[in-house]
Amino acid sequence: MAADSAASRMVAIWALVARQAGSRGGRPSMPDLCAAAVAAIQVSGAGLMAVTRTGAVHVMCVTDEISERLAGIELTLGEGPRADASAFGGPALASDLTNDDIMARWPAFAPAARAAGAAAVFAFPLQIGAIRVGVLELYRSQPRPLATVALGDALLFADAATLLLLESQQASGRNGHGQDGTGEQAGGGASHGPGGQPIELGLRRAEIDQATGMLTEQLATGIAEAFVRLRAYAYTQDRQLADVARDIVTRRLRLTNGDGPGTGSGPAVVGGLEPDQGGAG
Amino acid sequence: MDGQLLSETFVELADTMVADFDVIDFLSVLTDRSVELLGASAAGLLLADPRGELRVVAASSEQARLLELFQIQHDEGPCLDCFHAGEPVAVTDLSAAAGRWPRFAPAAQQAGFAAVQALPMRLRSQIIGALNLFRATAGPFGEDETRIGQALADVATISLLNERSLRRSETLNEQLQTALNSRVTIEQAKGKLAERLHIDLDHAFELLRGYARSRNRRLSEMARAFVDDSEQLPDLTAAPLPSPRRGPLPGPPR
Repeated sequence: MAADSAASRMVAIWALVARQAGSRGGRPSMPDLCAAAVAAIQVSGAGLMAVTRTGAVHVMCVTDEISERLAGIELTLGEGPRADASAFGGPALASDLTNDDIMARWPAFAPAARAAGAAAVFAFPLQIGAIRVGVLELYRSQPRPLATVALGDALLFADAATLLLLESQQASGRNGHGQDGTGEQAGGGASHGPGGQPIELGLRRAEIDQATGMLTEQLATGIAEAFVRLRAYAYTQDRQLADVARDIVTRRLRLTNGDGPGTGSGPAVVGGLEPDQGGAG
Repeated sequence: MDGQLLSETFVELADTMVADFDVIDFLSVLTDRSVELLGASAAGLLLADPRGELRVVAASSEQARLLELFQIQHDEGPCLDCFHAGEPVAVTDLSAAAGRWPRFAPAAQQAGFAAVQALPMRLRSQIIGALNLFRATAGPFGEDETRIGQALADVATISLLNERSLRRSETLNEQLQTALNSRVTIEQAKGKLAERLHIDLDHAFELLRGYARSRNRRLSEMARAFVDDSEQLPDLTAAPLPSPRRGPLPGPPR
């Protein structure tokens, strides 16, 4: 397990998504990601659902009819892997829908999903801590668990989907708390990251999470937008996300709202080096 | 070895696991108790993420957390060796370990540690992580301490599983990811609270943990409510306390 193996796998995954997009002649989008995930993880189909803060579910894309039916079944029944992944903040993994534990867990969903043509279902929350934006759901027509590598790839695809979804939400101002008009530019900047590849999520660093939390206060905004703006700042400064995060955590750097929220003018992210206020403790 | 403390610790850990408990809070207590029980200076706990890296889920101090992170970043150190081999690794004198770990050994010494022990977290044939114990003085690790350290590592493993579904191997991965994401949420909450109250991150963690305990709340749920503003937590953010840089450990929850 090399230190960069998660990062290098994330690079490979973005390359697959970009290839899908290229064959379509567009920029990487949710359908490209779903198609790439189906091929890479060796599942029968995939669906991507956005879940709002109020719990409303929007089906963003499905790769086939069975995935579409699964999404519909869960919406109708209000039970299943998507609901569990949303509620508990971890994946819901059912490699065999006839398993007794699974039947007990989803007494209505499991038989309905089998009738729809699925034998195994795997749902992954699209999340970064308290940021929760949706679920990536995969299915297999034959009962078979995800091997460890496939599970890791599925988690990385979910990480990639999280970024795509976050940025598209920020761009369209639909995230429920990013109403200050700067989100669009911030999101747009980040999605144009080096090669469009937000690879830094492959390597988890507590400093990034801590800095995101600090930015909610500095920018007086929600956690999702704080994260998007952290990434946008790192991109515009051409710096590693982890390095910027460390500067924020050590209080060498503060991000500010420039001419204030609500104006929507000026640079998307106004950040400047301010003298250390000695507030580190 | 303090027999009284030992039995109290296991009673405390067992008590916690009977109820609906927060894994990250539990593992934080476990690393704190490992330090007290085993005469260590610091302890850290790493878990293997199927994404392809080890992640720090609990540490008795920020210093220990940084050293764990250092091992991951530089891909060397006793915790990684222990994880890869599935066997305990003991280094009785770090000043003689620069040949084996040219980057880790000096870094650990610079942080004030002279000896380190890593114990595997095993589930059946699988190694899911490792517990690291750092000590300020060189010298061998006692047999009793090693046995108890391994027992603590085993308890940490068990805490990741809930008994409802031990029969399904997929449960471990579900719980593991939930725990890793809880850790992220708690880090976000630490950052937000530290910024709001102008305190350091260790202090912010103590406040969050104390607040959750005093209200009988799960730490990660409360952290999430704080981060996403779904709840107002006025008592949490109203009263900054004096901030000891490295304060005393909180007492066990009673």
